[in-house]
Amino acid sequence: MAVIEIEGLRKQYRQLRGERTVALDGLDLFVPEGGVFGFLGPNGAGKTTTIRCLLGLVRPTRGACRLLGVDTGSDLSRVIRRVGTIVETPALYPRFSGRRNLELLGRLHGIGPKAVGDVLERVGLAERADHLVRTYSSGMRQRLGIGAALLKDPEVLILDEPANGLDPAGIKEVRDLLRRLGDEGRTVFVSSHILTEIQHTADRVAILSRGRSVAAGSVAQVLSAGRAQGVIVRLADLTDGVTALRSAGFEAVISNHDDIRVTMPPADAARVTRALADQGLYLTELRPDEADLETVFLELTNEAGRGGAQ
Amino acid sequence: MTALLAAEIRRMTSRRLFRVVAALTVLAIVIASLIVALRSRSTSGIAGDRRFHLTALAVALEGTSPVLIIAAWLLGASFIGADWHAGTVTTLLTWEPRRLRVMMAKLAGCLTVVFLLVIAVQILLAGGLALAAAVRGTTEGVDVAWMRHTAGIALRVAVLSGVGSAIGFAIASVARNTAAALGVGFGYTVIVENLVRGLRPQWVPWLVGDNAVMFISGQSAGPSFHRTILQAGLLLVAYAVALLIVSAAVFRARDVT
Repeated sequence: MAVIEIEGLRKQYRQLRGERTVALDGLDLFVPEGGVFGFLGPNGAGKTTTIRCLLGLVRPTRGACRLLGVDTGSDLSRVIRRVGTIVETPALYPRFSGRRNLELLGRLHGIGPKAVGDVLERVGLAERADHLVRTYSSGMRQRLGIGAALLKDPEVLILDEPANGLDPAGIKEVRDLLRRLGDEGRTVFVSSHILTEIQHTADRVAILSRGRSVAAGSVAQVLSAGRAQGVIVRLADLTDGVTALRSAGFEAVISNHDDIRVTMPPADAARVTRALADQGLYLTELRPDEADLETVFLELTNEAGRGGAQ
Repeated sequence: MTALLAAEIRRMTSRRLFRVVAALTVLAIVIASLIVALRSRSTSGIAGDRRFHLTALAVALEGTSPVLIIAAWLLGASFIGADWHAGTVTTLLTWEPRRLRVMMAKLAGCLTVVFLLVIAVQILLAGGLALAAAVRGTTEGVDVAWMRHTAGIALRVAVLSGVGSAIGFAIASVARNTAAALGVGFGYTVIVENLVRGLRPQWVPWLVGDNAVMFISGQSAGPSFHRTILQAGLLLVAYAVALLIVSAAVFRARDVT
């Protein structure tokens, strides 16, 4: 079952001078039930606009958004009790304490003070719960926002850059929390630009560029998308190494000025060592060429950027 | 809806501006009552002095009404304006996405608090004057008809404060900004009304200010003005409702970014 379905979503903002800015340009997205879904994209790609459309805050110019099976433009109130959210920096009343902020929100759905206390404990704000929010650091405000999102005990969490403003320890806590929530069977939809965090947290990702999805699927699928398998070889003389490998029939190139990339399945790496040894060359390192999410992200978003400019 | 309204009332009464306005008003009444008490000692025996005559309460209520109405305008405008400024409208809409419901709750919370505040302030003012009148002045002329008349003024001041608050709320909601609502109010009162009085005197019966004077005092502000208290009141309420309808339509249609 799809928890989030977005079809052909387009959002165009009109500027004061009559100019139009296209924030989303026919976005399609399918988020299955359960697990952590990373929603990635550079600044201005349309991540927050997508989330605002999903939550009924922004009306799409064209296309449809469905959340938990209902159209978010007309029936969002039927499912909002099951959805916890953070949209950009959480905005809460600065002259109320953290506890009072959550209590006021909780009352809207019949959530009592005990649940508020539990959530404050969970996000590490129990000791400062009765202090005014205006005295909180940005990290504490972010934690309070996460607390507000968890307060409904939601099936779906839609979190826009939840680690913003947090220190490294806080970022790790949020990462662990998201993973736990995903493992509990909840659907966690999280937008972020901290790619390494998403790579280790998310089960599935979508990469957004210029208002369109340029890659989507499991993290492994996205990492391998469009990239030939290969191994990285290091040895003392790169030029001799490349010559030897090419003469043995391998597709080899010098990469990063200090190693050789050989296009081949990593399982066949033994053939490389033999080809080099036959020529009297001995490698110092041999490892599979594994792209990280950041590399794939930059490749995909740069390609989309070039395509968009044409 | 009840929970939403209760939350908005609680938020309104917890606002610093509300507390400052309430505290300043109470302080002003206490100071005025002290001055009256001190003056009454120096002029004791002058029972006919209207300063210490309880029947002067109606005049006092009329005299203080502009301050209360302006304060109500400010409270109404800043209540929603501050929400837009802080971004808390977004947070609230992720808990209750039905925008009209959110706006109605905010408006109802604001109007309830403003109405009760103005009634409470007037009761305090009446209490201060009644004490001075009872101790050093006179309560002569206080009868059922006077009480009905004075209570009517107090009620109308509270209603008009509500109208002012609603108009401030509506403008700030459209502009998403408190200062814009205050600017519009100032511009309308100082520029538009005076221009109309000078250039289009036949339009005076439709001005907010003249109808407000009529509604509170029951007296016409000019020779061309023929309207009952009820008619003036209904016209002002109609203006407020029209602005609220516009602001609700805008709030419903516009993106929250």
